[in-house]
Amino acid sequence: MAETVLQVKSVTKHFPGVVALNQVDFNNYAGEIHALVGENGAGKSTLIKVIAGAYQPDGGEIIFGGQKTVWDSPHQSREAGISVIYQEFNLFPDLTVAENIFMGNEPLKAFRLIDYPKMIKESDELLSKFGICIEPLKKVKDLSVAEQQMVEIAKGMCNQTKLFILDEPTAGISDQEAETLFERLAVLKAEGVSVIYISHRLGEIFQIADRVTVLKDGNLVDTFDTKAIDKNTLVSKMVGRDLEDIYPPKGGEAGGEALSIKSLSVGHLVKDVSFSLRQGEILGLAGLVGSRRTELAHGLFGSLPITAGSYKLGGREVSATNPQASIRSGLGFLTEDRKNEGLVLGQSIEANITMPILAQFANNSLVDFKREKNFCQQEMDKYAIVAKSGEVLVNNLSGGNQQKVLFSRWVQACGGVLILDEPTRGVDVGAKVEIYKIIRDLAESGLAILLISSELQEVVGMCDRVVVMKEGRLAGELENDQISEESIMHLATLSRENFVCD
Amino acid sequence: MSEAFKKVVSKIDPSIGIVSGLVLLLVIAGFFVSDRFGTTQNLLNILENSVSLGLASMGQTLVILTGGIDLSIGGIISLTSCLTSGVINGNSSLMFPVIAGVLLLGIAIGALNGVLIVRLGVHPLIVTLGMSMVLQGVTLMYTLEPPGAMPLSWDLVAYGKLLGVPVAPLVMVLIFIAMWAFLKKARLGRYIFAVGGNAEAARLSGIRQNRVVVFVYTACGFFATLTGLYLVSRMGIGDPRIGGYYMLSSITPVVVGGTILAGGKGGVIGTLIGVYLIIVLRNLLNFMDITSFYQWIIEGVIIIVAVSFYVERKKV
Repeated sequence: MAETVLQVKSVTKHFPGVVALNQVDFNNYAGEIHALVGENGAGKSTLIKVIAGAYQPDGGEIIFGGQKTVWDSPHQSREAGISVIYQEFNLFPDLTVAENIFMGNEPLKAFRLIDYPKMIKESDELLSKFGICIEPLKKVKDLSVAEQQMVEIAKGMCNQTKLFILDEPTAGISDQEAETLFERLAVLKAEGVSVIYISHRLGEIFQIADRVTVLKDGNLVDTFDTKAIDKNTLVSKMVGRDLEDIYPPKGGEAGGEALSIKSLSVGHLVKDVSFSLRQGEILGLAGLVGSRRTELAHGLFGSLPITAGSYKLGGREVSATNPQASIRSGLGFLTEDRKNEGLVLGQSIEANITMPILAQFANNSLVDFKREKNFCQQEMDKYAIVAKSGEVLVNNLSGGNQQKVLFSRWVQACGGVLILDEPTRGVDVGAKVEIYKIIRDLAESGLAILLISSELQEVVGMCDRVVVMKEGRLAGELENDQISEESIMHLATLSRENFVCD
Repeated sequence: MSEAFKKVVSKIDPSIGIVSGLVLLLVIAGFFVSDRFGTTQNLLNILENSVSLGLASMGQTLVILTGGIDLSIGGIISLTSCLTSGVINGNSSLMFPVIAGVLLLGIAIGALNGVLIVRLGVHPLIVTLGMSMVLQGVTLMYTLEPPGAMPLSWDLVAYGKLLGVPVAPLVMVLIFIAMWAFLKKARLGRYIFAVGGNAEAARLSGIRQNRVVVFVYTACGFFATLTGLYLVSRMGIGDPRIGGYYMLSSITPVVVGGTILAGGKGGVIGTLIGVYLIIVLRNLLNFMDITSFYQWIIEGVIIIVAVSFYVERKKV
């Protein structure tokens, strides 16, 4: 058996009101790729943050390289040889590839000046060792997402990393780029480096991982050899129930056209997109990260300027140039980033629900508190928002309840078409099931729903029809039986160039 | 304690509790320090001294609630106080037109701040700092010394009494109560908190965020002008350098009163108590014959210590 690089022993981590990790055991061997899976909120991020020293565990211990360690900061774990590659890269966009690789570790010459020629040469060697063609003098901001990922890995190698943690590395890259990544990971593995690999794409886990550990609601479900388990079993372990119980049945009659988009462009971001959406229909808008789905939604909502084309809501041409006009013409938009674009976290549930529709509760621009309170109480009952009262501040709510507050807001504020951008991001499975039911009920009540989601399973499970975007353009449309994770990925990643040396 | 009382208490922000406690502590200390502290005369003194800082901080509170800051308050105070006494120059018949004009000017400067911030997208700190320098320059071009004179009747603003009660401090408190009600009850008041709490969420909820921003700077210009007019009354003459003190001092009661600089949390009642904290402290230090240098030091320490109590510690 290979040497154990990392051992996590019954680690527990509490947050106010939640047990994020409950006595979790986990270990990694040298030269092993160990996948970590689980639904959002299962505790994967918390676990890697504990391993990386960004959080201190409340109980249990971490043994790295044979030594019990207590890290006060991520800096210390990095020194010890752990590199975490988050989805948000930790790179300096205006510095060169070489400078980024050697950040904090620069080769020096006399008077502690940086030895640039040496740095560039070593960067080149490091990159070509992995068969990556990236010019060391290029600025990082000019690289593609996948190339930046390679720079992160090279940086980790430069720092003598023994354990890489990759957090959803394939979420933003094409299939070909992912293949390249897998080949590079194989090289790392051969060098005896240990890898923790987090991904929602189960296919690739079976392709590259040696073992897979499943977390659910902060608990360790089990660790399996990937050879000893199949995909369906893995999914049911992750979810804790069968798939049929998660998504409400599809169907329902689609009515008249609610939204029709004609050759819409949003600056350089979205180009010439056309599709339509009918009442009572859930239309999925799928694509990779960076396929500009969110930008399209912002264009429709008037929060980004439309530069060409037009769209109709309920048969009427809309020329909205700002969100309040879009809301008036019947559009609601539940944004993907609820903390930064959706909620005012320091304010009450009530204030958050009525934000776009405060006028409905105001007489002569004075707010009628009683009416507002009664309304919000009804809404909280309707959506089963768990809180002592409507005066509770939303930052004290769980992700699922926060999301329900936004549903309440936008269902009330919208007049026929509701755009949902990643509506189940960061909520637990229970809340997900509730939200799926809410979405389906809304569609059945006649609302037209545009569902943007990066979780393919969710798109497949929820949508009556799917349009796929790629690099700001429409890549295709799928209906009924055509909708599958594979067919969506196929459209989403069609023909992208690669950057591997020949 | 009755349940209802407990409920009311639980709703009060802890920062208001802390700053009220500090004021109380200072008052108690005052009785030990000097016999004269508790006299009616001294009480009136404290109330009168609080008016100008209160008015200036009122506007600053509105701005800070949206997550901005206004450093041009001092410049507006200097300019408007000089223009008022300089143009009127003792001529009673000019009094009301000039005062109306000066108020309009202050409002216009505030509105300009707001429009520049919104249109140029430059940080409020920069815009209002620049504005403050421009205004200081204009004021000094106009006059290097206290200019003109005010008619005696304008003294009534600062020194008028109704049934033995000084009117100005009372009016200031009434303004605070009115603004408290405005922030709580009016739609615009709610929007101020929404913009300060999360500007992007407010924008995407269809709130006309730009209008809210322009409104608070305009209101701030208005309150700064009131401060200027009050000071002219108090001293009988404008002063081109009087505003400098208020540029930063108007921020102290706001933050000590629990309004956070990032915006979205706090309110005017905390600011009002914060104003009294500063004024009572100064009064007390005067009784103790402590020079103003020490007063600055103590004030500075109080700001840092008081605000450090309010910081929500990051729970790791």
